[in-house]
Amino acid sequence: MGTISKIHEMLTSKQCSCTELTKSYLDEIEKSNGELNAYVNVTDGEALKTAEAVDKKIASGEEIGLLEGVPMTLKDNLSTKGIETTCCSKILTGYKPIYNATVWDILQSQNAVMLGKTNMDEFAMGSSCETSYFGGAANPFNTNHVSGGSSGGVASAVGANIAAYGLGSDTGGSIRQPASFCGIVGLKPTYGAVSRYGLIAYASSLDQIGPITKSVEDASIVFDAISKYDEKDSTSKGYSGDTYSSLNNDIKGMKIGIAREYLDGVRDDVKQAVLNAAEVYKSLGAEIVYFDLPALKFALPVYYIIACAEASSNLGRYDGIRYGYKTEHYNGTHDMICRTRSEGFGEEVKRRILLGTYVLSAGYYDAYYKKAQNLRGTIVKAFNDAFEHCDVILAPTVPMTAFEKGRAVSDPIETYLTDICTVPVNIAGLPGVSVPCGFNANGMPIGMQLIGKSFGEATILNAAYKYQQAAGENFKDTKWGVKL
Amino acid sequence: MVTREDVENIALLSKLFVPEEELDSLTQSMQEIINFADEINKAPASDEAFDNINNLSNVFREDEVVESYSSEEILRNAPEQAEKHFLVRNRE
Amino acid sequence: MKYELVAGFETHIELSTKTKIFCGCTTQFGGEPNTHCCPVCIGLPGTLPKLNRQAVRYAIMAGLATHGEIAEVSKMDRKNYCYPDLSKAYQISQLYAPLSIGGYVELSNGRKIRLHHIHIEEDAGKLIHQHGDTYVDYNRGGVPLIEIVSEPDIRSIDEAREYVEKLQQVMRYIGISDCKMQEGSMRCDVNISVRPEGSEKFGTRTEIKNMNSINNICKAMEYEYERQVDLIESGGEVVQETLRYDDATNTTSSMRSKEDAHDYRYFRDPDLVTINVTKQEVEEIRKSLPELPAEKCRRYVQELSLPEKDAQLLTKYRNISEYFDKAIDGVKSAKTVSNFIIGQIFSRLETEADKEIFDVAVSPEQLNELVKLLDSGKIRNNLAKATLEKMLDSGKGALEFISESDMGGLDENALLELCKQAVESNPKAVDDYKNGKEKAIKAMVGFVMKNSRGKADAAAAEQKIKELIS
Repeated sequence: MGTISKIHEMLTSKQCSCTELTKSYLDEIEKSNGELNAYVNVTDGEALKTAEAVDKKIASGEEIGLLEGVPMTLKDNLSTKGIETTCCSKILTGYKPIYNATVWDILQSQNAVMLGKTNMDEFAMGSSCETSYFGGAANPFNTNHVSGGSSGGVASAVGANIAAYGLGSDTGGSIRQPASFCGIVGLKPTYGAVSRYGLIAYASSLDQIGPITKSVEDASIVFDAISKYDEKDSTSKGYSGDTYSSLNNDIKGMKIGIAREYLDGVRDDVKQAVLNAAEVYKSLGAEIVYFDLPALKFALPVYYIIACAEASSNLGRYDGIRYGYKTEHYNGTHDMICRTRSEGFGEEVKRRILLGTYVLSAGYYDAYYKKAQNLRGTIVKAFNDAFEHCDVILAPTVPMTAFEKGRAVSDPIETYLTDICTVPVNIAGLPGVSVPCGFNANGMPIGMQLIGKSFGEATILNAAYKYQQAAGENFKDTKWGVKL
Repeated sequence: MVTREDVENIALLSKLFVPEEELDSLTQSMQEIINFADEINKAPASDEAFDNINNLSNVFREDEVVESYSSEEILRNAPEQAEKHFLVRNRE
Repeated sequence: MKYELVAGFETHIELSTKTKIFCGCTTQFGGEPNTHCCPVCIGLPGTLPKLNRQAVRYAIMAGLATHGEIAEVSKMDRKNYCYPDLSKAYQISQLYAPLSIGGYVELSNGRKIRLHHIHIEEDAGKLIHQHGDTYVDYNRGGVPLIEIVSEPDIRSIDEAREYVEKLQQVMRYIGISDCKMQEGSMRCDVNISVRPEGSEKFGTRTEIKNMNSINNICKAMEYEYERQVDLIESGGEVVQETLRYDDATNTTSSMRSKEDAHDYRYFRDPDLVTINVTKQEVEEIRKSLPELPAEKCRRYVQELSLPEKDAQLLTKYRNISEYFDKAIDGVKSAKTVSNFIIGQIFSRLETEADKEIFDVAVSPEQLNELVKLLDSGKIRNNLAKATLEKMLDSGKGALEFISESDMGGLDENALLELCKQAVESNPKAVDDYKNGKEKAIKAMVGFVMKNSRGKADAAAAEQKIKELIS
């Protein structure tokens, strides 16, 4: 598997040059992206330039960092200076940021080789990647199935070995869900652990950037690199310490909680896979505790109200004046703005803007937005109480496996239900990692989720790493991409 | 009840055009989503205050000037510009 | 029927911070278009605001200077409306938990105009409409503002004028804004309604915007008062709406258009965290405030025995009162200093702006020295006045213009000698005085003064002459 440490070892031992490695990734993208549609913008020029710099460094005998020269990708809602950043929306076509997202500043300073920007649901609103203006990304396990969303392009690329890792963003499951669908690892960090500066906002109080990787170890490496305090983000705290050094800690006696509500309405094969994982944990000496988390019942509507309210405000700025798409024909400024927005946004985005506007508007604010904020407090407290009884919570990531293309578009509410297991973590600002835990009868991957206390990344990654070691057969490679 | 007038009003606030022929179906679709959102009103009232996730306070910048960007950079992505301004040209 | 005017003010004041409220761009007025901008203040996707500490401090100062209560917990909200001068399509402001609650501005008639609250927010950019095209410049976008919202307590145009002047005075005193209405660093929206005199119920109000001077505010209010009264008297009804004042025609006109659906959908800004201000911090800021004009004025009247009018003139601008405070150090009578400032120094300052800047050639220490010479009897009033003129012309100290002999005064013998001469050379005056014509003595005192070249003490001379005659 093309993991970070494997690539690092290859580069330092000079098994291949960074340029050769980068070229092989670029070649594979060229070959497979037509079918996968993971990348929306391949930045081969920049990638090769960085690779060359890394090769020079290696040649001169300088030591290189773990992430140095490792080919990776960024979701297309992370601002990259001079490189088109569209959120896969028509309204941002042609937009080239004049500044870098903080996470990209960090990785660029470590000579990360960015192969390109990856596909996503438009403005991260969707669960299948199919609301993308560029069409959805395919699942590397079966290209008739969706990659999941919204960070579907990153998951598709990493699952298909056309990127070693990638950064996505997770507002209601957008890292964990596609990672689960594509049989890889996705970490949604604690709110405030990673700077949001430069992440094009969907819902500011829920958004968080995190890694999508081939292994738990890689997720830990990337998380440790990007979880720095950033003075540009008022909600940033950074992560003190690291997660890598405790990955291999013994988990004997660790209390792993299962909330019954998380298993409600979950498909049998998924449920069984999660329960099997619990057995693995038992065999590793962990203790399984069952409890109830009734507050979860309201998590989904709370999530949609808050997310859409914030989105309606965050997306007000796309007016055709400062950047992005502008309509051709109009009559006056107001008309120009309305036409630009009506033509530039897709249906799902418009639906969420309208919903968000509705729940904030006079006469409805108290019944929806205020009530949802109130319930958010209840859900936060419910999780705090739950962590009195356990160290991590084990749950399915998604109630199902990757569905076939075209099914998500038909019914918005049914699609929203796919987020039922992922949104509570965003509401409570907690860390959650999705880890592959099996396959269904059709060979599609199933993911489980480990949820931790606030800033408990070290604990959930430790638990995830131990599981990966014990159940490595669930981390299956696909036929695609670069074989290392 | 979400009415056609509600949808027209929120569309105006959102600066989105809803074609007349889509108004009914959008109203219905909004109604379905609102029914779903209404679930929360079944939840017992609680007084758990929620402020911000990590209960942060007093995060400030010092009042020190940082060099601004050039107007060329500021205007780089402008669909239209003139005389160092963003421009909305109002043609017929 | 007589109608009473009822008005409330929403006053926006740009704070004199060096940088914008959420980014490090300069707040300097003017500049080439879009050169005081960065990704944050033009609202590029993905950017985040970070609150300027000084803006919060200035707003707290404004709250304390208007007797408001500083909220221990305050929060930033988003006010959503889409307009090209607003780069994010929302203005970061405060609705649910503003920084300062209540307070008042006291007018000279003793009435207190209550304040509802003061909050902080960001300014919008500037639009220029030309031949139907719209040009947008975001230099001003993100400059910190406070909005001072009053209760509808104002009952006349005079009160309105004084309210605005008082606010301007206080904010300049505490140094948080230059409050220049012409440059837009102070802007007022007025809510105005009328009601039959004696009525308790408020009438329907209109809001007038776009006035760039105090005179225009008063003119607009007069016009709007008349308009509303006429409307009601002719059987019509006032419609609640926002009006734009047109300076050229002195009229107001409706700003409403079908595009403005006003529902700001305020909600807590998730990009910014809570502002906590402790009682100690409030006290520390309170202590750092200069003495405010109203208090100063009261003190001048009560402790320095200045006439109310003098006290008001001296406290109108902070620079004058600070000058005065230094110049009175150790003098016998503050009124003497006041006379010099109001009488002589003011006559050299032609405009209000000059008075506000109060750039005077004579330092307060130099004036103090002059007044002390007068106090000690070393020089007389006429000489002091003439000397101050010379000092104001040259910037030199009093001693440059007064010789030792000028200051000698007269010893007892010299005075006695001069008084004797006065009696001898004015036999008629002596007779007149003896016949009960009290005033006749003045002629002899005048003789003494003239012959001593003003150095004699007139009162002492009069006493001596009376002794000589009787």
